Amino acid sequence: MIDSALPKEPVRRKRITLQQLILTMALLLGSFIMIVPFLWMLVTSFDWGARLNISFPPKIWPEEPSIRTYEAAFTNINMFRYIGNSTLVSAGVIVISSLSALLSGYALSKLRFKGANFVLLLALSTMMIPFEMTMIPQYLLFSKLGLVDNYLAFYLPAMNYAFGTFLAKAFFDQLPGSLREAAVLDGAKEITVFSRVYLPLCTPIIATMVILLFLGVWNDMLWPLLILKSATKYTIQIGLAMFTYNNGINQQPSIIMAATTTSLIPVIVVYMFLQRYIIESIALSGIKQ
Amino acid sequence: MSSTPEGKWTADHRSMAKRRFRFTRNDWMGYLFSAPLIIGVVVFAIYPMFAALFMSFHQTSGLNLSGAWVGLSNYRYALEDSLFWQALTNTFMMGIWSVLLGIVLSFILASLINNLKWNLGRNFFKAVYFLPNVVSGVATSLLFSFLFFPSKEGLINFVIGLFGMDPVGWFTNPEVARYSIVLMSLWGALGYNTIIFLAGLQSVPRDLYEAADVDGAGTYRKWWYITIPYLRPIFVFMLIMGTIGGMKRFTDVWLIGGTAGNPGGSLMTVVLYIYRNAFLASQMGLATAVSYLLFLIILILTAFLMLLNRRKDSLD
Repeated sequence: MIDSALPKEPVRRKRITLQQLILTMALLLGSFIMIVPFLWMLVTSFDWGARLNISFPPKIWPEEPSIRTYEAAFTNINMFRYIGNSTLVSAGVIVISSLSALLSGYALSKLRFKGANFVLLLALSTMMIPFEMTMIPQYLLFSKLGLVDNYLAFYLPAMNYAFGTFLAKAFFDQLPGSLREAAVLDGAKEITVFSRVYLPLCTPIIATMVILLFLGVWNDMLWPLLILKSATKYTIQIGLAMFTYNNGINQQPSIIMAATTTSLIPVIVVYMFLQRYIIESIALSGIKQ
Repeated sequence: MSSTPEGKWTADHRSMAKRRFRFTRNDWMGYLFSAPLIIGVVVFAIYPMFAALFMSFHQTSGLNLSGAWVGLSNYRYALEDSLFWQALTNTFMMGIWSVLLGIVLSFILASLINNLKWNLGRNFFKAVYFLPNVVSGVATSLLFSFLFFPSKEGLINFVIGLFGMDPVGWFTNPEVARYSIVLMSLWGALGYNTIIFLAGLQSVPRDLYEAADVDGAGTYRKWWYITIPYLRPIFVFMLIMGTIGGMKRFTDVWLIGGTAGNPGGSLMTVVLYIYRNAFLASQMGLATAVSYLLFLIILILTAFLMLLNRRKDSLD
């Protein structure tokens, strides 16, 4: 607004607008390529005519528009259950991981206890260990404990969220320690200081962790593939994967696309509302690492 | 004994040491608060790391951590198994192409978006290009298995058919399947890299460009001589993260190619090889040995990439 109010050299402005126009067109073309797979998925998911074979040539509107594809998807694949299960797993992991990260981040930043640096270093260096290397002993550990097919196999490892600890510690470092000293002098317990004084200031970092954790857990497939054996326990990803894995990939286009679309609704809804925060969180997590 | 001067000194010293290591209430609180993290790290990262190492020297089906001690023969078996080398080659091929194409394309994309003078447009494009990143690997694979349908019915074959090209067996031709996976993962990863590059581009100090303007440098030269060198740490970060991610490829190849890595084993990856041996063949010892080889490869690649960055830095 202020920019456009400033007097500008007319020739220069015209050239910039032309350049901007070309730039916008090029980016729009690229966006179209990014969006086409989603459009194809949506159109096919509502096309009863594509329940056995992909319709040809590709349609921009379903050949036989119908929601029967979705009915078929929900009767063949236990979508409600899987989405409920995924919600349960995600919610538990989010609560446990962010609590663990906030508590330890607070202790490492504000309590500066003996050995704090060692704890931080240890936690951060374990982030280098690939999950693919530890998954076999972890799986055997849970099968020894009789916790295969049990969501505790998600909740217990959630305590190990070193990256969250790192984010939380960096955040607490920016908050003044004098808040704690004043509260402690007044005789407040440590847990009260944490929960009443500091936690209310932590909304931005909690939001970041919740977003990163939700996207990670909701979309995860390898660990659920190892841990979940009975179909009633499946998360949405594993339910969808096992259905296609057992029926063969490339079968029943519109029904699979209806199920896939449904599985995307939660993340897309979250993305629509929190798009700004998600992009900021990703940029932050990238830079911090 | 304590009457000798030497003994007295030791006793004093000892009590001093004791005082230094005595835990205050504050220290106990610190450990109490960090307990979930410490337990998590020890039980679910450090213990499994050593357990995996231990298992890799044994032949075990997983009922016990230790079966028969076999020394290095699990490692030898893997290194002599042509399937392992095929898996490693495939993983490298897919990894290198996705990392390089991903970085180049997303850097160009980020530069274009950054040059938009139009704030709303910038945010719009950021949101659109990032959208595929929130889609799960399962959904992406299912979607692309139809888009890359091998006959003329597939959307992508239809599009290239408009240009007079014959249908390609994207996921059925062993020569092509790996590159199809690269294209598919580009769709998902492009937005992530772009967002990080954009954050980097915004951190380049304005006065560098202003100085270049004074010297009469054009847009292209500023891009080449200021922007790219300034963003080198981000390029290295992308290389490292991309390489690590690429070495762990599993979900998409498992869903598209099954545990055999079809077509023709061209989609067999290292993690798929680990998964097969551990959970289909119950060769847990062999699987953990391969997982250690994978860890070593990742460590070496990461160290190499970091070294590359440091050496270039010292040249400046």
